[in-house]
Amino acid sequence: MTTATQFTKQQTEVFENRDPKTGALLLLEAIEAQGVDIIFGYPGGAIMPVYDVLPRTSLTHILCRHEQGCGMAAIGYARATGKVGTALATSGPGATNLVTAIADAYLDSVPVVFITGQVPSDLMGTDAFQEVDIVGITMPIVKHSYIARDPADLPGMVAEAYFIAAEGRPGPVLIDLPKDVANAVTTERHRWRPYPKVKPEMGQSQDIAAAEALMRAAKKPLFYIGGGIAQGDGVTELRELVERTQIPVVSTLKGLGSLPSDHPNYLGMLGMHGLRAANYAVQECDLLIVAGARFDDRATGKLDTFAPEAKVIHMDIDIAEINKLRAVNVGLDGSLKKNLAALDPFDGGAAPNISDWTELCYSRRAMHEWDYDAPGEFVYAPKLLHDLSRRAPDSAIFTCDVGQHQMWVAQHCYFDDPKDHITSGGLGTMGFGIPAGLGAKLGTPDRTVITVTGDGSIMMNIQELATLNRYNIPLKIVLLDNSVLGMVRQWQEVFFDKNYSETTLDDNPDFALLARAFQIDAFTVNTRDEVDAGIDRLLSTDGPVLMHVKIDPGENVWPLVPPGRSNADMMER
Amino acid sequence: MTELQRDKTFESSGVGGTLKIVLHDVSGTLLRTLGTIERRGYDYRDVHCTQRVDGDFDLLVRIEDIGGPRNLDILCKQLERLYNVVSAEKVGRRKRAERA
Repeated sequence: MTTATQFTKQQTEVFENRDPKTGALLLLEAIEAQGVDIIFGYPGGAIMPVYDVLPRTSLTHILCRHEQGCGMAAIGYARATGKVGTALATSGPGATNLVTAIADAYLDSVPVVFITGQVPSDLMGTDAFQEVDIVGITMPIVKHSYIARDPADLPGMVAEAYFIAAEGRPGPVLIDLPKDVANAVTTERHRWRPYPKVKPEMGQSQDIAAAEALMRAAKKPLFYIGGGIAQGDGVTELRELVERTQIPVVSTLKGLGSLPSDHPNYLGMLGMHGLRAANYAVQECDLLIVAGARFDDRATGKLDTFAPEAKVIHMDIDIAEINKLRAVNVGLDGSLKKNLAALDPFDGGAAPNISDWTELCYSRRAMHEWDYDAPGEFVYAPKLLHDLSRRAPDSAIFTCDVGQHQMWVAQHCYFDDPKDHITSGGLGTMGFGIPAGLGAKLGTPDRTVITVTGDGSIMMNIQELATLNRYNIPLKIVLLDNSVLGMVRQWQEVFFDKNYSETTLDDNPDFALLARAFQIDAFTVNTRDEVDAGIDRLLSTDGPVLMHVKIDPGENVWPLVPPGRSNADMMER
Repeated sequence: MTELQRDKTFESSGVGGTLKIVLHDVSGTLLRTLGTIERRGYDYRDVHCTQRVDGDFDLLVRIEDIGGPRNLDILCKQLERLYNVVSAEKVGRRKRAERA
């Protein structure tokens, strides 16, 4: 197969006698041409030609302190702004340090272009210093990838990379840039043909009609929404459809905020740590209208027991998701936004004859309201998060890490926009919260950004406190410290006969002191009566700040559906 | 065969067949395609690749699943999602009546 360029020569136009420029400069100018303002990166040997010309561009470069931080900051930036994020690293370990972020972007369908330096072309394949086959390593976790072989290809390659990252179902794209290509000077430019694989606009009209017929016939319909609502720009259309039809709604972790948390039709998050009302509704519905969700195992529990009586309408921009795990009655691929807008099963009115169903759903929701009056003396993390999210400005964005605190954020924080909640849903990446938070804050400087993390997660990318300090990024960090790896410990307690193997972190550093060593304002909250003042201080501090909160090591996340079991089998405290 | 592979979890559930996949002549496309098939839970039994007169490649793969819920139609859609994969389709055995 052709190796000289990604596209065969007959598919490009060649322009000669242009200004002589290096591949490195062509790369950065092409990135600028995409409207990119901020890139997150870390220099090193093979990427030095790019850093050499970086000051000649308008790009703002944010030097993170680890390439994983660069990648996750780019993800946070992309998720908060809706734009394509950009991360830059060198070859070898620089590139492999990006891998977790690339996988995270892939699993959560986040548009990010990752650029890696590579050893010179003549050394590729020789096990040269800092050489790894990053294109091969990442092939399963990218939407697409390139090795640049000719500097004249870079303008077209970069434009296509940004297009591919954002079109259809978004995802990460990798460009691997050998050092000789970055250094090479060319007067040629190759114009690439536009990529033909543009996704269909919406489902066929007969499919819309079939979906509407199912909705009219249903007695117990239910919306099951996911991250595709936000990514498909379908929030307004979803809300209008829910308002029109008055059908109840459950959401995945990634779908939170698509309906406001206090919306009268909203039953809550479903799945492993979902709310009882939500999980029971799924189990009993007779029609599941799935929008931008993918039957993830954390949401469905044991798949063949999930919504056992329901017919299924599945809307997704990715046709490969429809019928993948659950056979559907009607599949609507293409634009979620347009499909949601097109559905009008009741001629602009509400679904008739479902009042028994909705009363059952809403009475269960009321029956299982959270009780924030927890016994004990420790700070009760769910109440703290509940109060924090309601005292934070309306436009506040929450990023979080992974573990118990992540589920508490999902269960107890208030969201009225899906972009307000940035979490590592698919990959479940500890260490995500702070870099994602700094990326989100840089992308949306007028908004308050709060990162909720745990004492296990924060140590995975704690070096990014230095980035916060370097650029004085006013990220507000809430560290919930139970001195254990809480979620693993909970599973050991419940499923492994309390065999607490390697989950104790009682030798944690003094986190407030550590943050101050990074010149970050920090303080510790030890008791319940310190919480209100702590939240005040957190929200009123101008620069980066860390609120370290000691919580009960024995506090767990409830409800809990045991792995491999039906969502009906929820365990409680 | 390892102990793990002998476990019934990894026994084929019987989903298999032959796929015809058309690829653009672009670096990495063949590897990306074969990798996707393997990652989605199939083993190869036969792989055959030839270049067409228009420069694209015809890739014929005979595959068998390694267990779990598998669906060749979904696999074809997952393959067609890849850039520079033109098409992917199942190649069925023709019925006797059709051959006649």
